[in-house]
Parts: sequence; C-alpha cells; structure tokens
Amino acid sequence: MRLLIVEDDAPLASGLSRILEAEGHAVDVTERGEEAVLAASQEHFDLVILDIGLPRMDGFEVLRRLRAAEKPIPVLVLTARDAVEDRVRGLDLGADDYMVKPFAMPELTARVRALLRRSQAHGGPRIVHGPLALDTVARRAFLRNEPLELAAREWAVLEVLLAKVEKIVSKEAIIQAVAGWGEDLSPNAIEVYVSRLRSKLEPAGIKIRTVRGFGYMLEEFKPAPH
Amino acid sequence: MAARSLRAHLLRMLLPPIAALLALGAVVAYYPSSEPTTEAYDQSLVDIGIALGAYIQATPTGYRLELPVAVEQVLRTDRHDLIFYRVLSPSGVHIAGDDDLPRPTSDAQAYDGMFEGRKVRVVTVATPCGPSPCTVLVAETTNKRARAAREFLLTSMLPGLLIAFATLLIVWFGVKRGLWPLARLSEELKARSPRDLRPIDDAAAPEETRPLVSALNGLLEELAQASRNQQRFLANAAHQLRTPLAGLQAHTELALAQPLPESCRIHLEHVHQATIRTARLANQLLALARAEPGARGGSSDVNLRSVVEGEADAWVHQALARDVDLGFELAAAPVKGDAMLLREALANLVHNAIQYSASGGHVTVRTGQRDGASFAEVEDDGPGIAPQERARVLERFYRVPGTPGTGSGLGLAIVREIAGGHGARMELAEGAGARGCKVALTFPHG
Repeated sequence: MRLLIVEDDAPLASGLSRILEAEGHAVDVTERGEEAVLAASQEHFDLVILDIGLPRMDGFEVLRRLRAAEKPIPVLVLTARDAVEDRVRGLDLGADDYMVKPFAMPELTARVRALLRRSQAHGGPRIVHGPLALDTVARRAFLRNEPLELAAREWAVLEVLLAKVEKIVSKEAIIQAVAGWGEDLSPNAIEVYVSRLRSKLEPAGIKIRTVRGFGYMLEEFKPAPH
Repeated sequence: MAARSLRAHLLRMLLPPIAALLALGAVVAYYPSSEPTTEAYDQSLVDIGIALGAYIQATPTGYRLELPVAVEQVLRTDRHDLIFYRVLSPSGVHIAGDDDLPRPTSDAQAYDGMFEGRKVRVVTVATPCGPSPCTVLVAETTNKRARAAREFLLTSMLPGLLIAFATLLIVWFGVKRGLWPLARLSEELKARSPRDLRPIDDAAAPEETRPLVSALNGLLEELAQASRNQQRFLANAAHQLRTPLAGLQAHTELALAQPLPESCRIHLEHVHQATIRTARLANQLLALARAEPGARGGSSDVNLRSVVEGEADAWVHQALARDVDLGFELAAAPVKGDAMLLREALANLVHNAIQYSASGGHVTVRTGQRDGASFAEVEDDGPGIAPQERARVLERFYRVPGTPGTGSGLGLAIVREIAGGHGARMELAEGAGARGCKVALTFPHG
C-alpha cells in the first residue's frame, strides 16, 4: 500500500515512515500541507496520515481539501491537542480515525491496518481475516481454504464482527444488525451464535473475545509462532 | 491587636459624649427651672418679714418688737423647715430675734448662710419704723429647697437618661441589623465552590457593601486571570511535549524491533518505558490543568454510560495487554458536566485499576443510578488501598509506599479534582469480598 505522511516534526515523521515501511508499505513524507494536497491530487495514495499542527496550511484545511477531491482517501489524523472540539471538528471534516500524540507504534500500525482493510473491503466481495475468507457475493466462507459451513445467523454475526476488528461490538449492536424486521432476538441467542462461531474459528487461531457486560471483540489475527 | 467588636467600639465612642451631654443638659435645665421656686420660697420669707415689721414699735428709748406669742408661733410654723428671724434697727443694732443669724454681707436681698450649724436661706426686708427703715432678717433651713432641687434634677435628667439608654440599646441591636448585608455577603461567599471565580453579583448587593463587593470582584478577576494564564502555560507545555515524545517513542520502538546486543536492549527498554511514562505524565498534567477552576468548559447533559461505551475499546486493549478481565455493568447515568473531563476521570480510574491488578485479575466498570443519584464506579480485585492510605492517595504525586509499577501518583488527584468540580462525591472502599479497591463517584441530583 502507498501511504502519505504529513508531519512537520522530522524525527517523528522519519520514525513513522520507517515503522510503516517495515510493515511493507511504500511511504512518502512531506512536512507541508500544500505539498500534501498537491501530491494527493496527482498521485494515488491508499492512506494519508495527517498532523493537525502544521505550519501555514493546518491539518484541518488539508483535510477539507482532500475531502473536496473526487476520490475519498482514508485519513488518519494525528494531533498534539485533544480538546473535544478538535476531535469533533476532525471527524466532522471526514477524518476516518484520530490519534492523540504520543501513541504506541503497535497501536498506530493496528489502526493503519484497520483503515486499509476497511477501505479495501468497502463494498468489496471478499473479506479476508487471516485464514478466514468470506465471499459476500456467493455467501460462502472458507477457512484455511476449506469450505466452512455457517448458518445464516452465524454469518450475519461474523460479518458484524469482521467490520469492526479490534473494536468492541455491543450485544445490542449485534442484535440490531442481525435481527430482521419484527424479530425479537435475546442477548442469550447472540451468545449461542458467538459460541458456535468460536468453536468453528478458534482451531484456526481466530479469537472472539467476550467483553463482560458489553459485547464481543474479534481480535486481530496473529499467526501462531512456529 | 485583638479582633475588635464593632459594637464595643461604637459604645466606647458614644458613651463619653452621651454622658457629657446628659450632665450639661441637667445643669442647663436645672438652673432656669429652679430659679422660680427659689424666688417663691424667698417670697414667702419676705411675707413673714413684712408681717413681723408690723410689730416693730419705735419708742423714745429705742425700737422694740411687740410680738404676741401666738403670732410668733404662727409665723415660725412650717411643715418642713425651721424659721428664724432677727430684727435690726436702722443703725444695725440687734433689737430682737435669733441674734446669731448672719447679717447681710452685701446689699443682696437674699443669701445663703450658716446658723447653728445648719445651712439657711436668709432674706432681708426693709420695714418702716420711724424716719428710716428697720431691717428684718428672716431665715429658714433648706430642707424643702433641697428636696425641690433633687426633684428638679431628677425630672430634668430622666428623659435624657431614658434617651441615652435607648440609644445604647439601639446601637447594640442596630449594629447587628445594620451589618446584615455583610452577613449575607459572607453567606454567599461561604456557599461558593472554591473553584467558582465568577464575580459576585454587585447589582444585588446593598449600596453600602458595593465597594467591598467590587474590591472582592477585582481580586476574583485577578485570580481567574492568573488561573487562566497558568492553564494556558500548562496546556502549551504539555502540547509542546507531545510531538517530540511521539518521535522518541517511535524511534525507541523501531530500535527495539532491530536485532540488538542484550546489554544495549536493556537500556533501550528503560528508555522506552521512561518515554511512555513521560508521555502519560504530560497527558495527566494537561488533564489536571483542564480540571482546575477557570479552565472548565461549559456544562452539558452527559450520560456516564455513553462516556464509558465511547472509551471501552481503548480500555479493553489496555486490559488485554496486562491480561486483566475488564467487564461492564452499564445503565443510564445522566449527569451535568464536562464530557471530556468526565472521560478523563473515568479513564484514570480504569487505568489505575488495570495497572494495579495482577495478571488474571478482574476489573468492573459500573454506571447507573442509586437513590436517584447517578454514579460511576470502578472495582478491582487487586491489592487494594489500606484505609489509612485512602486520604493520602488523593494527593498529587503521592504513591502508596512499596507500590510496584511506575505511576506518577497523579491519577486519583485528577479524579478528585474533576469530581470536586462536578460536585460529585468520591469514595474509596474495598471491593467485593473485602478484596481490591472500589472507587465510586456519586453525582448530585439533577
């Protein structure tokens, strides 16, 4: 994937680019907002990592111009400020995610992966999560390239969880996404579907974590160390 | 100097002039009013003198007083005083009567003197007896005059005394009543939250206290300004720290991902830990600055449940990193406040609970309502906080001695600050089964 980092602090910019390069991405760095807007208009980037506190044209303005362009590029905003208004403003202007400095690099790379996955999967027919693959058109699932039998409800629950890897999905949210019109699904029913999914997916190293009193979280797939 | 009572001070100031005025008033009232009485009493002595004069007879051998005993008795009779008389010839020779009665020393017609050891009032009456007049002295003791004087003095002073007494009473009670605007002002100040630096409403203050109110408002404004400056400084400092810290963190993590000699790796890991700690400290200082009076944003309707739901992701990841089971028991908990500060407070509680839990420990976040009051609480089954340490852990930078880990000791101080700013009660207790620690924030109704 090709990423653009817009950050005027040179040590941070170089650190970020090295880390993301190590993740296998092609990374361009600029410290000026104007250059970022120009570069994004001329070349293809899969993700922009944008600092708000830029000299001259600030990050909000860059964000506005990127959003005004035809192709929506996912934008991850970085800021040293964390006033709620800033956050709201950034998200209002269409930032896809928001991180307050300083942050742990694993968290940054996880969010970058999530954003890229979301933009790739958006409307795409195929969802991939480690050894699991869902063909949303043919409604067929594969685990380690073997066909995987999923009941309709199990499929629906899995789809909701896959859309928010590493994020907690509340039971209510799952019920809303899964229940048809006029249906009344109990939280217990969701527990049953999740436990069936677990028994099918866990042998392949895919973990669905229960968040007590809240909901479920599909963990990022980490290949077992050999 | 000891605290001075305004009342005592006023009384001390009022008493001497009142006493002086009373004395002066008595003197001024006494003399004019006692004069007619004296004259009237003198006149009755003069009448006796005239009557006596009629009994003087001039003979060739001299003057004689031919006073029948019955008449003398009548003349000498008085209910209160003894009456004396003396008759002198025109040349001043004693003719009859009490011969020690003092003669006039001047040409005054009435004078005071002593007779037989008593004070007496004497009048002189010239009475015809031949070619030139004889002089009759009539005297009486001063019993009724003294009594009349006493009565006069009393009646002339009584109103003055009453007025003076009333004045002192009015001062005593009036001072308290007169000072009620100050009492009200101090009530208002007492009722204020210490973080409330808004000016006092001087339109509602009585005119007399306005100078005081405006002086207080000036002071409050300066305090608020100083507080804002401090906020700004802290916020800027924290913001400025964050970007280089992010760079430092990025590079140490990059370096740690490289194959490194073990000796080098240990040092680098220390650098990494210190970076993370410093970053957290910068965030906490910023939170503390925001929580201080004067820095707070507006208050709006916030549901603590939504605040927790919004942060749950981040918290669950923190918990997973330490192998702690983080659970939730959430019900609606509407409060009025600053959403960002409430989020900060809860984040600190959860962070603490996770940080001090052992691997495999449990942390539970609850929101809801109890007895109509919204609450949020975080309970863990970690080592807990000994009762004698519970007050101290709320102090800034205080850490319980022997606590493992690398906290700054600011977390609970921030929570206390934010809770205080929202009028919420903060309670530290043991968790369920007398294990761990439970910190509850209970918010005021409405």
